[in-house]
Amino acid sequence: MLALTRSNLMMMARNRQGLFWALFFPVLLVVVFGLIDFNGVVPAPVAVVDLSDGPRAQVFRERLADVEFLEVEDFVRTDMDEALRDGDLGYLIVIPPGFDETAAGVGEPGHDPVGLVYTSRNPDRNQLVEAAVRGLVAEVWSEGQPVQASRLTTANVIEVPEVDYFDTVLLGLLGLGIMTNSIISIAVRISTYRNQAILKRLLATPLPIWKFFASEIAAHLLLALVQAGIILAVGVFVFGGRLHGNLGWVLLITALGSIVFLNIGFILSAWARSPAAASGMGNAVALPMVFFSGTFFSTTSLPWVLPYAVEVLPLTPMLSALREVGLDQAPITEAWPQLAALAGWAAATAVAATRVFKFS
Amino acid sequence: MEHAVRVENLVKRFGSLTAVDGVTFSVERGEIFGILGPNGAGKTTTLEIIEGLQTATEGSVEVLGLEVRTRSRQVKSRIGVQLQSSSYYDYLTLSETISLLGSFYPRRVSPRTLLEQVGLADRARSYHRQLSGGQKQRFAVAASLVNSPEVVILDEPTTGLDPQARRNLWDLVRDIRERGVTVLLTTHYMEEAEALCDRIAIMDGGRLLAVDSVENLVRGVKAAYSVKLVLSRPLDASRFASLGVDVTQMETGDTTTYVLRLKDGAGGLNAVLNEIGNSDLGLEHLEITPVTLEDVYLGLTGDGLRD
Repeated sequence: MLALTRSNLMMMARNRQGLFWALFFPVLLVVVFGLIDFNGVVPAPVAVVDLSDGPRAQVFRERLADVEFLEVEDFVRTDMDEALRDGDLGYLIVIPPGFDETAAGVGEPGHDPVGLVYTSRNPDRNQLVEAAVRGLVAEVWSEGQPVQASRLTTANVIEVPEVDYFDTVLLGLLGLGIMTNSIISIAVRISTYRNQAILKRLLATPLPIWKFFASEIAAHLLLALVQAGIILAVGVFVFGGRLHGNLGWVLLITALGSIVFLNIGFILSAWARSPAAASGMGNAVALPMVFFSGTFFSTTSLPWVLPYAVEVLPLTPMLSALREVGLDQAPITEAWPQLAALAGWAAATAVAATRVFKFS
Repeated sequence: MEHAVRVENLVKRFGSLTAVDGVTFSVERGEIFGILGPNGAGKTTTLEIIEGLQTATEGSVEVLGLEVRTRSRQVKSRIGVQLQSSSYYDYLTLSETISLLGSFYPRRVSPRTLLEQVGLADRARSYHRQLSGGQKQRFAVAASLVNSPEVVILDEPTTGLDPQARRNLWDLVRDIRERGVTVLLTTHYMEEAEALCDRIAIMDGGRLLAVDSVENLVRGVKAAYSVKLVLSRPLDASRFASLGVDVTQMETGDTTTYVLRLKDGAGGLNAVLNEIGNSDLGLEHLEITPVTLEDVYLGLTGDGLRD
């Protein structure tokens, strides 16, 4: 089996055109996304906890809703810090109980200021939001009188690893590259082997079938890891992308995802009558996932039941696990639901592949 | 000692089609055994069942004393196989392909030895797609010898080759037999079966029509001569039938070819020649030959070999 895996790798390396496109395509996307500046100010979700509940606080909240780059949401969660850390929430504003008391004593020690809590993730936006909130509080409070604006609010910054849109997309592209290459490469390869009766020729030898599958998967897994290395290297070293988590876990998730997609490739190859058909089928399966599994943008804004439906696609848990571990620095154990989903996919597709696979 | 191959009452059905219909024969050790028949006769299906690539609907197949159905892996490791239409990896050299195939077997021959044996030593570092048709077939034979097999099964090894390449391959097959390997091959070339095989099985429509040595098969035909006529217009066969001659017609474009098989010796030949001389048949070509395997075949199938 080792000999077969080695031969498989040798053949991949010699098929230079195939290898080039397999490796180059995702890198091309990394370049495209690296060149575009996506990090302008995008509206940030803001939650307000109003402990005063008076008319002045009411005015403040209304004015806050008018700020263009803030989206005030009815956000009630017990773990606000966690929501901020996850990026589900951009900013938390806490209006103190004494907010509606008279202007006298404003800024005096003992008087609670308005609290603003955010993470260090987006420094540019943080400055903007902090200035806006501070200005607004001063305006509502002063009622024409001069006030010491800096005393009216306190900012509480939660330190998180810095992550921007490109970092998120980079891991999306990693998933995309591994998925398309795994599905299409194996489907085209196996259907070529079948058309040329190479599979039949192998069947005429005493080679056990499982060794054939295992060596194909082993060779493609190695290729996937090389591909992952190249994508991440270009993203990080050329375009300044950041990867905060453990690279080993990122590659482990990549490998697990790759197995699922290789199995899907085997299944498609059973139906494809020609290598061209296999390639078309591979694209048809891969493309919807590119868009619906959150490669480039969040899928929470999809209509109807779609946000739940896309959770079922195998690329979704792969990307979610990659981002959780690779960007949010979560330990691999925290990504267990995604890993379990991937393992389930791997098992189900493996069973299906052995059921439908045809040698001739 | 057991037979190299023993096939008994073999039946293979694909739905309503019976591809192999009750075939029985055995191949002795050390012989070159040929299965002769037109395309669609069931030759390849028979071979693939022997090779363990397909399962029989009925009947039993033993190779080297092992039941193929239950001991397919052991059988596969002791036989060599050349498939009719198999190709090889695009991105492995000949030498690498042989090494890889060899790694699947407990016993293997070095690529160099094999490539030398089939005259491809200088192409060891070439890719399969760079070979000529004859070289590809020789390579396929080399690949079938990678495990130093006791039985080699070659499916139409010379189809599509030019006469020179075909003769080269015949020499190679004889050479393999000289080394004590049993050869089972299929062909739809009459002269190939005649030149190469110790014994022949004639198959048509899934049935086995005869099994014997070429000599015995020819001797079995109750005819001494065969007269081939190429005529520009159709022949009234009854005129010859009265002379006790068996007439077979083969359409070939503008002309019509008839083969007359004479049951008597010289006397019958005289009568037929007289009849030809006295009639206006539009004769374009006339050939008198002693009976050959082709006549055996025509007598058995009542038809020419369909390509």
